[in-house]
Amino acid sequence: MWVYEKKLQYPANVCKPDIKMAKFLIAQYGGPDGELAAALRYQTQRYTMPTGQSKATLTDIGTEELAHLEIIATMVFKLLKGVPVEQLKKEGLGENYVEHDRGIFYNDTTGTLWTAAYIQAKGDVIADLHEDMAAEEKARATYEHLINLTDDPCVKDTLKFLREREIVHFQRFGETLGRVREHLEGKKYF
Amino acid sequence: MNEYYNQYMQSCNTSQKGLAEAYVPFQKYISAYSPEQGLVRGTIFPELDKPYMEKKSGGINYGC
Repeated sequence: MWVYEKKLQYPANVCKPDIKMAKFLIAQYGGPDGELAAALRYQTQRYTMPTGQSKATLTDIGTEELAHLEIIATMVFKLLKGVPVEQLKKEGLGENYVEHDRGIFYNDTTGTLWTAAYIQAKGDVIADLHEDMAAEEKARATYEHLINLTDDPCVKDTLKFLREREIVHFQRFGETLGRVREHLEGKKYF
Repeated sequence: MNEYYNQYMQSCNTSQKGLAEAYVPFQKYISAYSPEQGLVRGTIFPELDKPYMEKKSGGINYGC
């Protein structure tokens, strides 16, 4: 079970409305390398992890990714706050408005819907942990692209925090891979 | 592992890890930022604090 805290892990400030940036940021919400994919991937892979440590790492990081999902949603919401429909249409969010108005939905920058095909649960701890490490690097790269795309210092600040978390997660998955490998090697001698 | 693998490993520096295996060094605890600074930096561990060097124009950025 989860315990919900009614606050964000990190502030999601935006200095001014920015329709284009909202459209770009949705990549980290419902895109292939976004926070939803990360959270759901880790939360389902954890069942076949062979040790308590590996299960706990996936549960913890998967939980934190849900907190990041919240931060992205909050930023997108704020970036679109008070923007007239005419502006949304002009800046390429007309299609999004038709389906969702100001609702935050699980799609990428092109409107392609999120799909479980983005993730895997192979039931093989080595394969799964490699996917997880790759996922962290892809998310890091996406954050760097997003940082390059905005001039808003508030948005940049939050994106830099989220990017750094990907680096820390990569390290933890890497350590988990090492520990799990020791565990698997050790089993052969019993 | 087979005998060729063992021979290969013996001929190499013992600190090297096995072939066809990805490896991330284990982090050892040295020091930590204050909780406040940790929140700002995105990590409490100075050795994991690798900020992005923003692209000013064109070119490839390998910043760490």
